[in-house]
Amino acid sequence: MGSLKPVGAESQESQGSGFFATRADFLINWSRKNSLWPMPLGLSCCGIELMGLLGPKFDLARFGAEAARFTPRQCDLLIVAGTLTWKMAQAARTIYDQMPDPKWVIAMGVCSSSGGMYDSYAVVQGVDSILPVDVYVPGCPPRPDAVIDALLKLQKKIEREDPLGRLVGPTVAPVGEEGTGELVFQPNHGLPKGPWDKHAHDPKSREDLGDPAPRKTEVKP
Amino acid sequence: MSETTPTNAPQAPAGPRWAAALGALPHCISNSPDGAVIEVEVAHLHAVLAALRDKAQFELCTFVTCIDHYPAEPRFALHHQLLSLANNDRVRVRCVLPGESAPTCTDLWPGASYMERECFDMFGVRFEGHRDLRRLLMPEGYEHHPLRKEFPHQGIEPDRLYREWDRKRREGWTEEA
Ligand code: SF4
Repeated sequence: MGSLKPVGAESQESQGSGFFATRADFLINWSRKNSLWPMPLGLSCCGIELMGLLGPKFDLARFGAEAARFTPRQCDLLIVAGTLTWKMAQAARTIYDQMPDPKWVIAMGVCSSSGGMYDSYAVVQGVDSILPVDVYVPGCPPRPDAVIDALLKLQKKIEREDPLGRLVGPTVAPVGEEGTGELVFQPNHGLPKGPWDKHAHDPKSREDLGDPAPRKTEVKP
Repeated sequence: MSETTPTNAPQAPAGPRWAAALGALPHCISNSPDGAVIEVEVAHLHAVLAALRDKAQFELCTFVTCIDHYPAEPRFALHHQLLSLANNDRVRVRCVLPGESAPTCTDLWPGASYMERECFDMFGVRFEGHRDLRRLLMPEGYEHHPLRKEFPHQGIEPDRLYREWDRKRREGWTEEA
């Protein structure tokens, strides 16, 4: 069905007393994607753009994701905005673990996507080394428009998820979280529905693509 | 430093204002684009710094840092930059370290503590007498000193401490479950 159609609203008498008929997974995905609560993890300069994004000018409220909370326990969207160092990595992973399921991650800026220009001993070469990332935003820093685009892409991704897999058992085999090499059950694990789901950076399609490409920064002692 | 020298107090031709404070302490004064530099040996470093603070009114230690001249031996040169607020005057004390240890100056300027910790963290210079010589920037438990010249800029196992923490955390989870 995939839509929210009022039933019985055609006639004037039933106005206001009609009901909606839809699919449960569609309804769950619809409500999830339109009320993402971001956890802003502003680590450096990208955090400034994130403030602009949450402010009135770019107005993330139009997409239902303006309720930024500074406690991970009330959030379901982690926006990693900035340069993540290895010293900070434990804190970032703890924040991610404290967020209740289901949860998604946006890596904002090249620093959090790949380490960016900081090809150095202190910087995590992409937060996907420690967290599963859903959407990467290029740019240094990305304009707030780019993050809005990432949010819309994430909403499209949430639309394709399988929220009932938690109740009836996973419909696809759980895959390891990127960077940990362990099998972790992801309750909001997506069903691959087409070739767009097979992306080299998407940890959820890793099984089909084989081993990840070697990192650009191999450690030479 | 000519732009910071007060115009009503021209430098005396007999040498800088603070030269007398050093007295008989062995040192050698040179001029760099950044102002006067006093070269001392490590044995006299603390005495020179104390004399500059007490007799020449250098109330402020702007920074303590180190330069690695690898592969030259001895490789580390310690730099103390001092500022006199009373006289609007700066001086730098340079000291080539024969080994990897130096006397602390936190008893003269307690604020130098963080700079000495950073210097220890980045270069591995041990400050004798420092009360709390821990790493400042790199995580506790890291073994290397990243600003040494032989350190590769991509690091040596930069993720080791995180991975160890992560493994412990996951083992803790499975025990509870
Ligand atoms: S991507 Fe650019 S703007 Fe963003 S944190 Fe990195 S350096 Fe700063």
